Amino acid sequence: MFVISRTALATTALTWLTLALSDATPVDFNRDVRPILSDKCFFCHGPDAHKRKADLRLDTAEGATAIHDGRAAVVPGKPEASTLLVRITSTDEDEKMPPPESHKQLGDDEIALLREWITQGAVYAAPWAYVAPKWNPVPVVNDQSWPVNWVDQFVLAKLESEGLAPSPDADRVTLIRRLYFDLTGLPPAPEQVDAFVAAEEPFGATWSKMVDELLQSPRFGERLAMYWLDLVRYADTVGYHGDQDHNIAPYRDWVVDALNQDLPFDQFTREQLAGDLLPNPTIQQRIATGYNRLLQTSHEGGVQEKEYLAIYAADRIRNVSNVWMGATVGCAQCHDHKFDPYTIKDFYSMVGFFADIDESQHFKVGTNDLPTRRPPEIEVINEADEELLVDLEERLAKSVTASEPTDVLEAQIALIKKRARRTMVTVALKQPRTVRVLPRGNWLDDSGEIVDPAIPDFLGSLDTGDRRATRLDLANWLVDPEKGNGGSTARVFANRFWYLFFGSGISRSLADFGGQGEPPANPALLDNLAVSFYQNGWSMKALVRLLVTSHSYRQSSLESVALRERDPNNQLVARQSRYRLPAEIVRDNALAISGLLVTGPSERGIKPYQPAGYYRHLNFPARSYRSDEDAGQYRRGLYVHWQRQFLHPMLKAMDAPSREECTAQRPRSNTPTAALVLLNDPTFVEAARVFAARIIEQGGTTTTARLDFACRQAIGREPDDRERQILDELLNDSRYTAEAAAQLLETGIAPQPDGIDPVELASWTTIARAILNLSETVTRN
Amino acid sequence: MDSNLARLMQRRTFLGQTSLGLGSAALMSLLGRDANAAVPISGSGLPHLVAKAKRVIFLCMAGGPSHLETFDYKPKLDELDGKPMPASFTEGQPIAQLQGQVLKVQGHLTKFRHHGQSGQIISDFLPYTAKLADDIAIIRSMVTEQINHDPAHTFMNTGTVISGRPSMGSWVNYGLGSETENLPGFVVLTSVGGRNPQPIASRQWASGFLPSRYQGVEFNSSGDPVHYVRNPAGVASAQQAALIQAIGKLDRRRNALVSDPEIDTRIAAYEMAFRMQTSVPELVDISAEPQNVLDLYGARPGDGSYASNCLLARRLAERGVRFIHLYHRGWDHHGDLQRYMNICCGLTDRPTWALITDLKQRGLLDDTLVIWGGEFGRTPMFQGKGGPGRDHHIKGFSMWMAGGGIKGGVSHGATDELGYHSVENVVHVRDLHATMLHQLGIQHDRFTVPYQGLDMKLTGVESAKVVKPVLL
Repeated sequence: MFVISRTALATTALTWLTLALSDATPVDFNRDVRPILSDKCFFCHGPDAHKRKADLRLDTAEGATAIHDGRAAVVPGKPEASTLLVRITSTDEDEKMPPPESHKQLGDDEIALLREWITQGAVYAAPWAYVAPKWNPVPVVNDQSWPVNWVDQFVLAKLESEGLAPSPDADRVTLIRRLYFDLTGLPPAPEQVDAFVAAEEPFGATWSKMVDELLQSPRFGERLAMYWLDLVRYADTVGYHGDQDHNIAPYRDWVVDALNQDLPFDQFTREQLAGDLLPNPTIQQRIATGYNRLLQTSHEGGVQEKEYLAIYAADRIRNVSNVWMGATVGCAQCHDHKFDPYTIKDFYSMVGFFADIDESQHFKVGTNDLPTRRPPEIEVINEADEELLVDLEERLAKSVTASEPTDVLEAQIALIKKRARRTMVTVALKQPRTVRVLPRGNWLDDSGEIVDPAIPDFLGSLDTGDRRATRLDLANWLVDPEKGNGGSTARVFANRFWYLFFGSGISRSLADFGGQGEPPANPALLDNLAVSFYQNGWSMKALVRLLVTSHSYRQSSLESVALRERDPNNQLVARQSRYRLPAEIVRDNALAISGLLVTGPSERGIKPYQPAGYYRHLNFPARSYRSDEDAGQYRRGLYVHWQRQFLHPMLKAMDAPSREECTAQRPRSNTPTAALVLLNDPTFVEAARVFAARIIEQGGTTTTARLDFACRQAIGREPDDRERQILDELLNDSRYTAEAAAQLLETGIAPQPDGIDPVELASWTTIARAILNLSETVTRN
Repeated sequence: MDSNLARLMQRRTFLGQTSLGLGSAALMSLLGRDANAAVPISGSGLPHLVAKAKRVIFLCMAGGPSHLETFDYKPKLDELDGKPMPASFTEGQPIAQLQGQVLKVQGHLTKFRHHGQSGQIISDFLPYTAKLADDIAIIRSMVTEQINHDPAHTFMNTGTVISGRPSMGSWVNYGLGSETENLPGFVVLTSVGGRNPQPIASRQWASGFLPSRYQGVEFNSSGDPVHYVRNPAGVASAQQAALIQAIGKLDRRRNALVSDPEIDTRIAAYEMAFRMQTSVPELVDISAEPQNVLDLYGARPGDGSYASNCLLARRLAERGVRFIHLYHRGWDHHGDLQRYMNICCGLTDRPTWALITDLKQRGLLDDTLVIWGGEFGRTPMFQGKGGPGRDHHIKGFSMWMAGGGIKGGVSHGATDELGYHSVENVVHVRDLHATMLHQLGIQHDRFTVPYQGLDMKLTGVESAKVVKPVLL
């Protein structure tokens, strides 16, 4: 689940308590105490100075031990003298904390824990997320035969301390499917499954070779881009009001390329936030600055420019802080953060970094065309056209002597430029906008102080001397492990990579490493992953490789009831995780199984079949939708036209986000709406009929042979007898009249095969539909 | 083939009847009733209070109907008609399309009268609503925070302008679960008519950070009533049933080996999907209604009108749908206000009355909360895109509520003498939310979901109050 479970926190505390009472394990403030104080006390007694009650703050040792009316809330070592304990154990309604109107209550176990903490000296610790990660010694484990790399030693040490053992390895079919889905978002072909199952070399060598091959596959960048685009809220439309298309697709392609080239994460960051400020920026670096333009925009009649500049500023800070800092600085738009030390001034100081982005033009020039105009934009000419252009321009230069008609050449050049794609970029204004603190976030209030660009105060300051700090300074700070926040950034991403390959973060709070976030289940492992990430030159591929070549990764995802109950969110990693494939991959998988999939980049957002009238609520301009009638129909889900207000219903049903805000973790649902998509969406019905034709043509002549073939294509294994029997019965129940068969087979634009009886094809289409709808087909195990 | 078909039909019945037995835990989780799958409440369980309403029908007049031509009569407005708008009202206030223009007072473009025993003041644009004077509680002192359509809808629906938060229908379903196994718990219906309609984003019925199954499902008046609810061309219902049953068998077979609770949920989802394939077309087919009922609403089957949607809303309410959200898009009257009010009121006034009347005669109004209103109101100042009109206005406007434990025949709050600022018993959008939740048995400040470190509430971070004077 994506919500933070307070129960899980309580369980951690309780586990500790049991231990503590038996052998006096020291209380760990961050692990045991902070979650309680943060959730139950900080709202009124935390970092927000403006709303603080009784001038008492409990988030710092100084605040907690300060004397009020001769007494202190916390007297280290003396629980009975601490008013905190008096108040939380009081039975007097007027005295009791937290007060009834907060609807918060402390459990007996939590009170006992706070008492023990005070008894042990009420030691505070800086919030874990703000302490730079450091390399921890790799723990020694009992079972030395299990670990493959140091990641496993941390995982196993944890398991051994909990009295658990790792799960056995998953079978090879499951393993290869897991790896293919995780690294490429596509299923392995049956031949690849066979080769892997039959491979006789030592497992490690075979696995390692396969990992390397997949990391080199262009599909890897596409797979990882799906996640990145969720984080940075990439979409093909402006989001607000008319939700017109805007020019940004080259940015998406840049992300795919950068990931495929393993552009180091620090540079990946710099180019997106501040590529335009790098010396002599390349076209690619300028395209990357499209990041700053991904937010939702509007030119709705009657928008007040000042209001929208404030809205845009807040949107950016929410995103930058969520993506790179795993922080919710956005909360400080109106007030100091309730749980973390971000002040309202910090918020507006961060806004200052982006005050040079030229974005007010579109209030004036935004049009209801498709795409609309959102200057500044640049032209992006593809490689083939670039070569043509160079040639034409050379010829034009010589045309006077070579007697080639100048006007023809000029026309050709114009044509190439016209078909160039456009993309929004960042251009720095010479004079950045003045940024003021907006009291309570009110854009009409000009009374706030003027602020310069700065990082949050409690995290230090940038050393730029008299020079105004820029986006590039911010980017450098975010990825500098020595003098900046790079270690923390690495930890945010190490956690997210863990989530991508193990199904759940080491801290389950993928976008909130604040006081309210869930502390990491294995902090030493998380810190080491972070350190390893930046020490290996910020190579994302190296990090992925480390994770997927671990023994931990290869465990079976099967779970006993006991383990599920003990560790429902797989925080101990005594098994792998299983979950439905992400929306885009559900599509890719069906297309791949059918043989329809067209790989490779797409210059524009593709348009799969879509229910008629789905865009009828869009206006300015009214929208018509024409689904692609070429290869676009069969390209990967990554490239689907991302209409923020009306995301394609298939993607939406499978939990893809609208990309209005940063999404670090998608929900994973199983709904009737999603079932209807897989059953009846023409994309899947067409894939089924094309798959059926393959089954008939390539699967042999007997029903058994065909069923075996079909299952091998889709799930990498043959059906067992019972499954065969169920499918066989379905085949018998699925007899179509010639007329009904003809109707079914007209679904989609793929040509119908010659030489197959349509009635038979329709029956097998039903079998293909069944197989495409299997839980196993759409599950990463 | 015939006997085959008969066998399949039998199976289909079987499928319809036994789903509860086959995966009841999973089904409960789909419906949001499983305590483990949906632990929405930090604190004690729901409902917190005795619920007066079981469901909500929200009649959203999208575009922002003018309170000054519906419920808010201000003699002073007519007096100052055509004169400069006193700066004391407008100075330092947000302004939408009238930015930088000379501001003049626009008098009422209609007459107002007292209606019913309660004598509530309602304009001549709404003769049918006027008949409901004793059934509705009019709130004459609404305020909101967003002056442009898209964010104003987002604010009205989610309590914040930040995207990605759940809409109220999702909140309510998350808190209370669904009462139907055959239909989604949150249904959205839309109609148009009036000035060139403003867009409306599906964000308005999104579930935000709540699980996807709580999102609103839009019912379409043309094409498939729900996306993909029809079988593929050429596939008969019995064949679809056989397919779904085979998928279920195969999934169960697999689950015997892998024991994955998600597979149970998935099987239940497929069974519910199949039931929707039967129940949705039946539901949306209002031609089965007696002629006198169709006449009451002025509905013509299949026309996709607001009238038909009101009738559909009643059918949805009868079948246990928890939150029914109707949008009528066409109320953005910057100019030619009179003409467009005639169109919009002509399309919505009678069906709204018919809905209340019909719910009442079926005994459904008592536990159905009906809310009427737009995302904001309109300025006392003139705007002239065509004939006289009015710009967006957020500092004072009117809405009404009825049924579900609401007192009829009362007015609450007031705007100033020109209908600009709400000045008496001001009701903020979050107060409206708090009141709605209260009627559903939910205490708004206890109804929280942890997200990104915060205890999120529909009513947001500022304190909200239940509008007690309008409650029975």
